[in-house]
Amino acid sequence: MTDLAIAATTQPSAPEAGGWARGRPYFVYALQRLAQAVVVILLAYVLSFVLITILPGNAIATTLGNPQSGLSPAQVRNVENYYGVTKPIIVQLWMALSRFARGQLGTSLVSHQTVTSLIAGALPYTLKLAGTALLISLVLAAVIAYGSQYLPGKWARSVIRSAPSLFLSVPNFIIGLLLIHYFSFQMHTFDVLNPDSPVGTFFAGLALGIPICAPLAEVLIANLDHETGQEYVLVARSRGLTQARLFARHLVKPSMLPAVTMAALIAGELMGGAIITEEVFGRNGIGSVMYQAVSNQDTPVLQGIVALAAVVFVVVNLIADLLSPLLDPRVRLGGGGRREVATP
Amino acid sequence: MSIAIAPRPAQPPARRLTAAARSAFTTVPPSVLLSFIVVLIVLLWSLFPALFTSYSAVTANPADKFLGPGAQHWLGTDDLGRDEFARVVYGARSSVGTAVVAVAIGLFAGGLIGLLAGFVGGWVDAVLGRLVDTLLAIPGFLLAVVVVTGLGFTTLNAAIATGIASVAIFARLMRAETLKVRHSVFVESSYLQGGSRNYVLFRHVLPNAYRSVVALAVLQLGSAIIVIAALAFLGYGSPPPASDWGLLVAAGQNDATAPWLVYGPAIVIVITVLSINRISRWLRKTS
Repeated sequence: MTDLAIAATTQPSAPEAGGWARGRPYFVYALQRLAQAVVVILLAYVLSFVLITILPGNAIATTLGNPQSGLSPAQVRNVENYYGVTKPIIVQLWMALSRFARGQLGTSLVSHQTVTSLIAGALPYTLKLAGTALLISLVLAAVIAYGSQYLPGKWARSVIRSAPSLFLSVPNFIIGLLLIHYFSFQMHTFDVLNPDSPVGTFFAGLALGIPICAPLAEVLIANLDHETGQEYVLVARSRGLTQARLFARHLVKPSMLPAVTMAALIAGELMGGAIITEEVFGRNGIGSVMYQAVSNQDTPVLQGIVALAAVVFVVVNLIADLLSPLLDPRVRLGGGGRREVATP
Repeated sequence: MSIAIAPRPAQPPARRLTAAARSAFTTVPPSVLLSFIVVLIVLLWSLFPALFTSYSAVTANPADKFLGPGAQHWLGTDDLGRDEFARVVYGARSSVGTAVVAVAIGLFAGGLIGLLAGFVGGWVDAVLGRLVDTLLAIPGFLLAVVVVTGLGFTTLNAAIATGIASVAIFARLMRAETLKVRHSVFVESSYLQGGSRNYVLFRHVLPNAYRSVVALAVLQLGSAIIVIAALAFLGYGSPPPASDWGLLVAAGQNDATAPWLVYGPAIVIVITVLSINRISRWLRKTS
């Protein structure tokens, strides 16, 4: 919710002007961005470690000290050695980082499964939900943007133009509860006890997707407003292009670039929103694993999920940054034609 | 066509401010005025809740449980017979008041980071830039959940977590604004005329960044309310009998026969955030 609202208002982070515009070869730019991405992922892991370990209530020590943890003294020693609980923080951090670099995320303090297997088990459910939500939000954004230009009547257009700001103001747990109330309890279109059914997934995706489509729609509308006045659109129209084809070919295409630069933020929002949506709809997934990890103070799981989120965000961002110079030739020109993207 | 550029008479700041206020008042669209009224009422709820309801938010009154909304109880009563409207009014402080705290944290920490990065530049900018990248890489809500898990589940901690999660956004905007001003001609000439760093900072950089940062802060207030409500909804705020709006929605969800217990607080959240976003949009458009 937080970041996307901003993305709608400020310029989405364009690839660093200094990097590409100076005319360095593409692969140098790509390598630099890659190195930067690796650094940010490692730093994000350090940050989550610092936040979880230094803040009061060291969960590992508490869990191990709990006589009801069901661990034998030998097992306790094992876990202590693994995380280096007795060693200084900086050594613990180094151990955690070197484990992370080898792809190990540790073991859950509660279920004693490895964090990697926990995440791997939950990920397909969340991907299904997030994919559905993404698709719904893209379609909704396109419909709103189309309506904002071509709906008959100024009144109708201004109503649909205010839809994004309404969507941004409704928390997704409220949307979820309303959808469940009407479509499950009253109209029985899906069963809350079986939330993974196609219809159940659709409504969960709708709850997650509605707040996400708002900034997308705002960027689309702003770009359409900007492009509609351009001469080439008038020319295309005078040559008899139908409205729908004009919309698809000449108006949506130039708006793709800002949408691509928002992709990472959208991925982040999908992961953050999944925690709530999965809880509201009673679905399995990364969100519900995280919810349980928080209530059990299961530090390694929590840290693993934060690492996963950071990796997803950074990788999507990297792809977007690598793609955008290829998508828009104007970015490549450097000094001459600066890319101008209208934002609301 | 002739363009006359009349030198504007230098006005003392105070008079300029009142003039701006007067012209703002006559040009404010009605929907923005309405939004200001809504926000004012909600802020008054959080400051003086007792003025707005005669019911108690915590005392149980079993004889009146599950009454529907009506003249006596505007938003109905809950499973213990407490007036839902009173619970909403008394919950405003921990739902909206804490959002102000969250925005203040993000504004000061993020503003300082962005100002340093943009104004000092060099390696300071590089180091702070990586820090901001890192904060941005963890989705805001996830970061808030992790921080509130570490700090412990109270509403104030949820607000602190929400504030920390928004530091990066403020830092990025502040840095961009600072850079924009720093490389402008008037700042260069100010330096040439012997202006000190501090003079440039307080005379040029901060006043120029002010409008857009305020617009962002207002927008952040709306999303902070949503994030804090979501944290409370998940049970990461103060436990009952606290009546955070998110908590009220979560509690109301348990009584399927009394849907007003969900609708009441939900509508209050939506109207409040909608009004704040409307104000922010207007600020951005006029700045």
